[in-house]
Amino acid sequence: RLCVQVGAALPVDVLAYEEKSLCAVLRVISGGLVKLWSALTLQGFYQNRRCAFRVLQTSPFLLALAGNSRELVLD
Amino acid sequence: MSTPLRRLQQAPRHLLVCEKGHARHERSRHAAHVRDHAYNCRVSVLIPECGVLPQVLKSAVADLGEYYVVRGLSVHQLVAHEFIESFVRKGSCYALAYNTRIDQDNTAALLPSGKLILSVDKDTYEELGLQGHPSRYSGKKPMRYIITIDLTDSNFHPDGKKHKRVLWALKEKKPLEFDFLLAWYNSGAEGSTLMSYFSKNQIQTLKPKVTFSTLRDLQCPVLQSNELQGKPEESCSTEELFEWLGAVLNQVNLDNVSSSFLSTYCCPQPNTIVDQAFLCTITGFIIPEKIIQLLEQLCCYFGEPKLAQWLTLTVHGFADSPVSWRENEHGFHKGGENLYNFVIFRNLDYWLQMALGTNDDCPP
Repeated sequence: RLCVQVGAALPVDVLAYEEKSLCAVLRVISGGLVKLWSALTLQGFYQNRRCAFRVLQTSPFLLALAGNSRELVLD
Repeated sequence: MSTPLRRLQQAPRHLLVCEKGHARHERSRHAAHVRDHAYNCRVSVLIPECGVLPQVLKSAVADLGEYYVVRGLSVHQLVAHEFIESFVRKGSCYALAYNTRIDQDNTAALLPSGKLILSVDKDTYEELGLQGHPSRYSGKKPMRYIITIDLTDSNFHPDGKKHKRVLWALKEKKPLEFDFLLAWYNSGAEGSTLMSYFSKNQIQTLKPKVTFSTLRDLQCPVLQSNELQGKPEESCSTEELFEWLGAVLNQVNLDNVSSSFLSTYCCPQPNTIVDQAFLCTITGFIIPEKIIQLLEQLCCYFGEPKLAQWLTLTVHGFADSPVSWRENEHGFHKGGENLYNFVIFRNLDYWLQMALGTNDDCPP
């Protein structure tokens, strides 16, 4: 409940969302990273449906999110 | 009670440095900075007021070279005398362990200077028995060690004690094996290729993947090469440009209002709307020599009159590389970012922005 209450007070931008891959880019102030990350981790239900959030990449630089070498697929 | 809560508020350290120069100045360090950043997984070029691949870039994009994936390559094969003589001493040889995580696994990399870098956990370090030093980002109790072996050192010859010890450690004491990404740049001279040398291993030749796209009606910040901090009402700062570029490459909507529920991000002011912008993306194992060629051709783009005031070249490094620039140790922490971005202006002034994460040293 702490996370829900905190989440309501922390401004988060949904910068981008791609429905096909169900991926989103979120923006939050640096001091809010841990709170947002833990709130996402603990979010197991939405409107009575089970769900899970997986954080793929975080960075203080939006530009860094454009290239993730851990997702690099070779032919 | 208050200290742990305060720690939640503290942001992990990160660095963004910006350097201004002129591409034709004799002491310009733009090529040196590119050369010092050995391992690159993604290169993006954004040219406003351009709809198709410019003529000057056609040959550079066609000639990106090849790289190789060698599966299950033992590290001692990189220390073999024949390999050193054929590839390390002739031209620039790059190798990076693929699919290893710098914060969890052992990893290895070979720099074009001939330095072999092994980043290993404590148990592996003790079993190997080679001289190294604790990782700078390991905390009070070192759990990670870095071993650097100079393969081109005059003392490192096949009959020498040093070579024998390293070979014994890597072949018999604690054999290390990884999937490697390999590339070799050798201007001119004929010689054996990596393909024939590693023919007994599982080796595959790959070419960097290139994609093109045209962005329509793009809001672009107005920039002045002399004004790095930006000038109110006249130009945007380097940080604003860096964030805007991140928004463009991540397909973020640039047109929100401050009262919007979903996102408040807006293109920095002042900005102009361009009808079209050309975006070229290259992914793979891209060596600095090819990036320097691209950079040179991008400078030639402004050799003829163009509508664009500036263009950008962005290069992302590997998050799991053991080094960032030169031999500076690189760690992952939460992001593993090590990237740089050039903004090249019409008059060939440039901004070079280098970004690093928490477990990183300041770039040179």
